[in-house]
Amino acid sequence: MKEIIAVIRMNKVGATKKALIEVGAAGFTASKVMGRGKLVEDKSIIAERRKTLLALAQKEDQATDKQITEFLDGTRLFPRRMFNVLVHDEDVPKIIAAIIAANKTENKVGDGKIFVLPVLDAARVRTKESGDAAI
Amino acid sequence: MIMIKAIVRPDKKDVVLYELSKAGFHAATVVDVVGRGKQKGITFGDIIYDEIPKSLIMLAINDEDKEDALDVIFRYAKTGEAGAFGDGKIIISPIDEVYTISSSAAGL
Repeated sequence: MKEIIAVIRMNKVGATKKALIEVGAAGFTASKVMGRGKLVEDKSIIAERRKTLLALAQKEDQATDKQITEFLDGTRLFPRRMFNVLVHDEDVPKIIAAIIAANKTENKVGDGKIFVLPVLDAARVRTKESGDAAI
Repeated sequence: MIMIKAIVRPDKKDVVLYELSKAGFHAATVVDVVGRGKQKGITFGDIIYDEIPKSLIMLAINDEDKEDALDVIFRYAKTGEAGAFGDGKIIISPIDEVYTISSSAAGL
């Protein structure tokens, strides 16, 4: 039994839910979290996206510039959605593949992380089943 | 790899995150939670506050960095020198696998 924790973009929630159903893991818990990733050392990775976002903002003051740069290089915390999914051991690879496929974007950074944690036991409240039967 | 979940006071969240970043643990996920501890919340006469707001900071790090990260959290999440009830708890659990979605690569 494993717990998959996926921290993903807010606008990918629909796609992720759909992907989870298709792969056979319909149950999940989601929460709104704030997250930041590894610092982007190589600024050329985010240069192009920064230009697009600055054009979208239609403002050229320093505050806008700072916010967009910090958004992209990961200095600040930004809203993300966290999915907790309880799965059987043998389903882990295909669920991870499905989440990655649903969440990958062209932006190179900021797509999120997936953690796989071991779970000792689980219980279903309604029937008192435990172990693998509870998933 | 291990996951550190630190439940700290919301007013200590910013300083802990800043110091963690300085110590080389930049990536983090933060959740606003409510909870109570061993002291059964705070009691004023008949009123019991047992849903006290806290911040849950989640860090995924390598096993050998555990002491460094814990040291930073212990130092900056504490109230004063002696500490006080309600400063929080740190929970450490193992991680089997980590994936970065952008690159599909395994590992931190």
